[in-house]
Amino acid sequence: MADTIAKKNPISDFMAKRKAEKPPKEPKMSRKEKRERFKKRMECLTPAEQRYLRRKQFTDAVWPVVRALIVFGLCFIILYPLLYMISAAFRPRADMNDPTIMWIPKHVTMSNIKDAIVAMDFWKTLKTTLVLNIGCSLVQVVTTAITGYGFARYKFKGKNILFFVVIMMILVPPQIILIPQYMFFRYFDPFGILGLMGKEAISFIDTGVTMYFPALTANGLRAGLFIYLFRQSFRGLPKELEDAAALDGCSPLTTFVRVMVPNAGATFLTVFLFSIVWYWNDYYVSTSFFIDNQTIALKLKNLDANLTRLIFDGGNVQVNIRELIVWMEAGCLISILPILVLYICLQKNFTEGIARSGLTGM
Amino acid sequence: MKRIHMSYEKKKGLYGYGFVALWFIGALMFFIVPLLQSFYYSFHNVAPEVGEVSVTALVDNLTGEKNIFLNYKTAFMTDPKFRQYLVEVLQDMALSLPVVVVFSLFVAIIINQKFRGRTFARAVFFLPVIIATGPVYAIITGDLETSGNSSAEQFSTMFEADMVDQLLEFVGIYGFGDTFTEMLTTITSDILNLVWKCGIQIIIFLSALQGIPPSAKEAAAIEGATSWEFFWKITLPYISPMIVVNIVYTVIDSFTDPTNEVMGRLLEIQSEWRYGLSAAMAWSYFGIILVVLGIIFAIMNKLVWYDD
Repeated sequence: MADTIAKKNPISDFMAKRKAEKPPKEPKMSRKEKRERFKKRMECLTPAEQRYLRRKQFTDAVWPVVRALIVFGLCFIILYPLLYMISAAFRPRADMNDPTIMWIPKHVTMSNIKDAIVAMDFWKTLKTTLVLNIGCSLVQVVTTAITGYGFARYKFKGKNILFFVVIMMILVPPQIILIPQYMFFRYFDPFGILGLMGKEAISFIDTGVTMYFPALTANGLRAGLFIYLFRQSFRGLPKELEDAAALDGCSPLTTFVRVMVPNAGATFLTVFLFSIVWYWNDYYVSTSFFIDNQTIALKLKNLDANLTRLIFDGGNVQVNIRELIVWMEAGCLISILPILVLYICLQKNFTEGIARSGLTGM
Repeated sequence: MKRIHMSYEKKKGLYGYGFVALWFIGALMFFIVPLLQSFYYSFHNVAPEVGEVSVTALVDNLTGEKNIFLNYKTAFMTDPKFRQYLVEVLQDMALSLPVVVVFSLFVAIIINQKFRGRTFARAVFFLPVIIATGPVYAIITGDLETSGNSSAEQFSTMFEADMVDQLLEFVGIYGFGDTFTEMLTTITSDILNLVWKCGIQIIIFLSALQGIPPSAKEAAAIEGATSWEFFWKITLPYISPMIVVNIVYTVIDSFTDPTNEVMGRLLEIQSEWRYGLSAAMAWSYFGIILVVLGIIFAIMNKLVWYDD
């Protein structure tokens, strides 16, 4: 069916004819002929133009080689710790003292990984981290997108002052406001409502509320930066989009969900990735608001102590600093693995789409 | 019921409030009020008590008089480490800021060009963004040092300090070498840190580079600009606003890094329950950040070129 249509199509007919009429290819020139032709062409040019062309020829030949060297070198520097991590995580501790071993261990063992899993109580920790940190980061992406959209697309009184608050959120170090925040959660009584009703303040310390509540109101980790990113990217979309949607009878919320969000895919991806990474690696907030919180970042920070307690029999097994590396690197490996896998899956969209993520245009 | 008639614009404004309302409630609870509260704390004596914290006026022990700036005085005059750390952090900052900005611009320009394996190179360069924020980074660098495999040492031999000195003496410059080589060695021995710190800056520059309109590139090519001229006359003006953004980001990132010494001292004092003092330190620290940023803005504002 498709074929018959294509045959009847006058344009494709025309194209076929033109193809047939195309002159035959010129025979390939030898290198010598080419050089002569280049010389002839050069003679027609002014000296300045000649200089320019020669210089360009030279840089075009040399630069790719230099660039390849630089890129390779820098890539190596970045990958070096990761390669070392993989190499160290799978070698037995004795191999650390063997000076002949640089990269490839003589014996491959899984015991370090197994020990690290036990010491970090990995599966339970992973579950806690997923529920708490990843959940929060997902919630935060949605709420910051809504806020960013409000700042990007609507004019209202006091917008500049409110946006100044957003900028302040980026600037103020979280350590400054930590204690008042702690007091807020410890004696939770928003605007004195509970006090009026004659009830005592509630303590939310050591519950998920301390992380979910800020995320739910677009005030979680680095929320200011995300709001800023979303605002920039929504501002870049054409104004006609929402006017058209409004004429078609979309409410602002439907416009946002069905017209704007699909157009800001790259930004969502970027913020999603950043948000997950920062929540995943966070131990500052979770140590402050929790008495004994078992997230991966925290467990990794305390890996030393836990290893001694659980694997080295409370210090009875002697392990020197060099040998300890194999367990530490194994712990690192299993803690970044989930994020690394996620990054590798999203990597193509992330790196190529980042140009349009609205970071430009201050 | 009478319908209230509103113009389209006015209605849109109300919807705007609707979109930011959720954030505003949160900001009020988790940002604005805590911020003011900590400012208030910094002028008072704050001690934890059962059920609440007690906030009392500051009294100078020596004179017995009230002095609301006592916390600030303690931070700068009495505290043994705060001032020293502050100077160190500022010095580090002044040294590393230009290097970070220039380096990330260089990398961004390279990975903005078309070559085989570009996608892979980009993926690798953004990798530090994923890993470098957490405790993993501390373990990685620590382990590399203890195992003597620190890549930094290996790479710094490439720029052997003596060689630079000798080169300069050969050219006829004596004595200049010391400060210069010192700077060079700090940079080169720190190259791992440098590369790992620049992820976000590279991303910002990359997106700025892609914002340069193709027409400018074509015009430059037709006029016969060399890539050197192209860089100074086309690239740099177009991305100058983003240079400011990057400087601001770098300053804030290094100032608020929980591993830096001032932040460490702050947390130490917090864990000693001296909230008032820690609030005073945090605020003076923040004030210094603002002053630094202000100076940078004042200088950069004259150099930045806007496309409109």
